[in-house]
Amino acid sequence: MNKMKKREAIWFYIMVSPWVIGFLIFTLGPMIASLYLSVTSWDLFTSPKFVGLKNYIDLFTKDRIFWKTVGNTFYYAFISVFLGMIASLAIASLLNKPLKGMRTYRTLLYIPATVPVVASSLLFIKLLAPDTGLVNQFLALFGIDGPPWILSPDWVKPALILMSLWSVGGGVTLLLAGMKGIPVEFYEAAAIDGANSSQQYFRITLPMLSPVIFFNLVMGLIGSLQVFTEVYILTNGGPNNASKMIVPYLFDNAFRWYKMGYASAIAWVLFFISLIFTVVVFRSSKLWVYYESEIKKS
Amino acid sequence: MNLNIKLPEKISTYAILTFLSVLLGAPFLYVISIALASDETTYLAKFTFIPQEFHFENFARIFQMDLNFTRFFMNSLVLVVFAIIGQVVASSLVAYGFARLNAPGKNILFIILLSTMMIPGEVTLIPSFVIFRYLGWTNTLLPLIVPNFFSNAFNVFLLRQFITRIPTELDEAAQLDGLGFFGIYFRIILPLITPALIAIAIFTFTWNWGWFMGPLIYINNLDKAPLALGVQILSATSSSGQVPPWNLVMVGSLLLTLPMLIVYFFGQKYMDDFGVIGGSAAIK
Repeated sequence: MNKMKKREAIWFYIMVSPWVIGFLIFTLGPMIASLYLSVTSWDLFTSPKFVGLKNYIDLFTKDRIFWKTVGNTFYYAFISVFLGMIASLAIASLLNKPLKGMRTYRTLLYIPATVPVVASSLLFIKLLAPDTGLVNQFLALFGIDGPPWILSPDWVKPALILMSLWSVGGGVTLLLAGMKGIPVEFYEAAAIDGANSSQQYFRITLPMLSPVIFFNLVMGLIGSLQVFTEVYILTNGGPNNASKMIVPYLFDNAFRWYKMGYASAIAWVLFFISLIFTVVVFRSSKLWVYYESEIKKS
Repeated sequence: MNLNIKLPEKISTYAILTFLSVLLGAPFLYVISIALASDETTYLAKFTFIPQEFHFENFARIFQMDLNFTRFFMNSLVLVVFAIIGQVVASSLVAYGFARLNAPGKNILFIILLSTMMIPGEVTLIPSFVIFRYLGWTNTLLPLIVPNFFSNAFNVFLLRQFITRIPTELDEAAQLDGLGFFGIYFRIILPLITPALIAIAIFTFTWNWGWFMGPLIYINNLDKAPLALGVQILSATSSSGQVPPWNLVMVGSLLLTLPMLIVYFFGQKYMDDFGVIGGSAAIK
């Protein structure tokens, strides 16, 4: 039996070895290397020079563009994740009604989420063009003089958020799957007790769905803190750095100006920001995420 | 869930959903209108919402330019095919190990695996770039393909959930019949998780087909560029004041989007099954 267990253990290590090796080569090794690089000055061509905490000190005290990128990224991440969550919850609730044709609507609303970001970014350049774009033409029908969107420092972030809302269907799918997983008996029992549909929604649907909402929030926040392609294609950070975000700034430092050490320091600041957000959402989850005790046991 | 919905609620639900579908669908008509526009309209930026011109030859022109779109398309195809093979093979193997086999250190490894999902990729970006540059792999598709053969945490996690649901009696019976651990994985588990493997293949396709940042960093050679990078290059003008050929850019965008749509329509069934599991995995 012991020999059997040993054989099983050996097979376990063989089978998980692709991930373990990949983790060492592509995650742990590079993380250690980038931690080291973040305390050096390195242009990729000569050897790295140790500079201590200079990169971090410069980032926090001297680099005003960096602070702007942090502010822009928070603005974008919080508002786009929050609005995306509200919109996808609302749409999922509608699609969850036992009516005909809901599958078709779900498919239609999901289609924008299948469009690659490069394609949707290029499309939004045209959609949001101040004079000729479809969005402002549409607003003009109601006598509204549309804003200059990506050409204006005040409107460029709302423009990026608007674009993120176009692909709201991705979040809808997960929430809808969560809603369908709620046992019908709960609603039947509530109906017998005289709960109306809004009571049922707030007392059953939302609490039962809170783990899925939580999962989407964590993943959505981590994802939007890393926003890159949209910014690179739509505005390249402009105008006047109003849409410069953390990762595009990191990209500029590393691959335009070859400041590899400085870029590594930015990467670690981003890492800690993501970590803090994740910890805060996890901590707060005890207050608002409902886990059914029965599921918790398994 | 109230099963007998009243008429006003029914009408308002349909009205809202129809409005939203039209709102989210309108940009597609605009893309098609731009894609079919003449060069003159493009230059003057006088695009209409409803297509007025029908220059279908734009769809042929994109393959006849100096920028080789046939090559871009083939590069993307090579990238996704190898990425899918890598992920399906590696992730299923690793997931089987975590789902079925016991060994000291397994729980710690699994916790590490889960926590890697929270690490932003940018932290490893620069050293990875240095490694691939040292290997001489820049300007090839290798830095984009090879990491897939080491699986990824998300796929492993989802497949593990799927395998855990298969009754262990099947493994035990196979073991009595003389199958080893690899035999059980290959002959018993793999056939049973085929729908999940298709879902993993679809996810991998989705992540890699439109991937932009990786190709942007690793590929400077136009011969090796995938489609997403190619379309962006077409839209980027070399001098200020120059107008990008928006009609052809939109043809390129459609070319980039079409495979995603096809995969979505044919894969929806598998994604649905997996969406439910993904949702319930989140609940657990």
